[in-house]
Amino acid sequence: MTTRDFIQDRIDSLENRDVLLEVQNLKTYYPVTGGFFKRTVGHVKAVDDVSFTIRKGETLGLVGESGCGKSTTGRTILRLLKPTDGQILFEGKEITKISGSKLQKARRDFQMVFQDPYASLNPMQMVGDIIAEPILNYEKRNRKELEQEIKSLLTRVGLPEAAYYKYAHEFSGGQRQRIGIARALALNPKLIVADEPVSALDVSVQSQVLNLLKELQIEFDLTYLFIAHDLSVVKHMSDRIGVMYLGNLVEVASNRDLYKEPLHPYTQALISAIPEPNTAIKKERIVLEGDVPSPQNPPTGCPFHTRCPMAMEVCSKEKPPLKEVRPGHHVACVLY
Amino acid sequence: MASSNTLTQQKKPERSLSPWQIARKKFIHNKLAMISTVFILIVTALSFAAPFLAPYLSPIPDVSRVNIGSMNIPPNSEHILGTDKSGRDVLTRLFYGGRISLVVGFSATLMVITLGTLVGSIAGFFGGLVDNILMRFTDFVLNFPFLVFVIVLNTILRDTIDGVSVLIIVIGVLSWGGVARLVRSKILAEKENEYVLAALSIGCSPMKVIRKHLLPNVMSTIIVQATLIFASMIVVESALSYLGFGVPQSVPSWGNMLSSANEPDVLQGKPWIWMPPALILTLTILSINFIGEGLKDALNPKSLR
Repeated sequence: MTTRDFIQDRIDSLENRDVLLEVQNLKTYYPVTGGFFKRTVGHVKAVDDVSFTIRKGETLGLVGESGCGKSTTGRTILRLLKPTDGQILFEGKEITKISGSKLQKARRDFQMVFQDPYASLNPMQMVGDIIAEPILNYEKRNRKELEQEIKSLLTRVGLPEAAYYKYAHEFSGGQRQRIGIARALALNPKLIVADEPVSALDVSVQSQVLNLLKELQIEFDLTYLFIAHDLSVVKHMSDRIGVMYLGNLVEVASNRDLYKEPLHPYTQALISAIPEPNTAIKKERIVLEGDVPSPQNPPTGCPFHTRCPMAMEVCSKEKPPLKEVRPGHHVACVLY
Repeated sequence: MASSNTLTQQKKPERSLSPWQIARKKFIHNKLAMISTVFILIVTALSFAAPFLAPYLSPIPDVSRVNIGSMNIPPNSEHILGTDKSGRDVLTRLFYGGRISLVVGFSATLMVITLGTLVGSIAGFFGGLVDNILMRFTDFVLNFPFLVFVIVLNTILRDTIDGVSVLIIVIGVLSWGGVARLVRSKILAEKENEYVLAALSIGCSPMKVIRKHLLPNVMSTIIVQATLIFASMIVVESALSYLGFGVPQSVPSWGNMLSSANEPDVLQGKPWIWMPPALILTLTILSINFIGEGLKDALNPKSLR
């Protein structure tokens, strides 16, 4: 079987699986306060109307430049932030409005791997305690058994058993990220949101951690929402990819379709920016003019029309909805 | 517990030192801080063993009894530090006085730190409306004129329980504001770390996040602050007692002993009455401050990681 067939096979098998997470018209606004009485004077529209679904066992990659709302989307889905509007359905159950102990209970099924391996581990806790804590939050356990279980988990993520007795500061960035992954795995969750898990790591360590994540996905039947700004990392990891711009999802397509035939002008510009290792191939680079508009005061109509090389008059008037233009390929652009 | 610890230690000799153990090691190597610690321990031990050690073995009521026959005697073999204007043995009162000064200082500190940490951490972690309400209340408390309130409250309440407890509660209730502000600002900075989000996402309740994750990380600041407050609380007690508004006059405390020095005659002619409490008070405050400095170095977060 060639690699291509393998990928096709995987895509086909994923298509028949159940939907794990469904996000509908999700909006997360941060209030902007000002003046003497700290009144709300506006909103930063970090996530502005995003909809997508993730099937069981699939990896959905989210790409976009800094400040486009990728991380906010991830955190809102895990309900670490309060959504302003919209719906998040996890296994068909609404988790948008729950709070308190109900939310605490629900969190068992979705975990997060954080971006900064230096800030995401409590420096005062022993590594063993860091990984044991999620389990002890939900179950009463025998300390000895648990210790054994955590040691085997440590071995699984590629750390020595002795790491159990150490503190986070004694490890390198890549090893710390492995600890973070072990913590996320401890509860045996169904969904893991990986928020730029390798962007703080050395390039040489990045691939090790990425491959670990891939292995674990198959072993524990995990579903990933993989957030990154590095296009090659997302390509390596994802089955499907969503491209975000200014709080909006502008294109969602399978890994292959997106890189082979990007439809949205923004995606085309992004893809053209990937460096080509083979110097014989001449690549045309699309250079975007201007800066990303402020999410506090986004442009009317299509969010991208201020920088779009193909902008027309209609673009500034109406916001194009995300629609399926080819099987499995969704674009939000008036051109299609 | 101890046996299981040694067992794992044998099996895993490479077990790392916890941040607290590292701090303890650093503190023990700090000579000045260790000398101060030993001094404080000796003063504390002597004060609490007063009934067994004092030259005039006597329970508290007897210490306060006026003895007209032996007023203002300079130090001699019978009264090592002499007697005061009411004929009471100065050394005996010094021991008993230490007891009151240290207890008042320690209890008031405990109260201040507990109240301040509770208010500050809740305000800092939850933010928004909770923060606003709690911090405005803190500002309100901080704005009380301390001396006036202590004097008035202490005078009104002193007969309700006993003088010493009332003083502790009054000082404690009026001085937690500074700690609350300090803890709040520390928590505000600390909660930006992703491990707080991580703790929430693994199912910790907000109070557990504060207790298990945030407080241990700001504890070093709180501990250092506590030593400084301890020193200043002893000073406050002495100052109030010196003015006659603190511990009831009948109870010996270092401040009460000093108050006899407000007579020019005693100040100039009878140094044995006020010198010992003044000296011991100064040394105690100095030692506590040295301990605070030592803790500050030992708990410096940069040296813990």
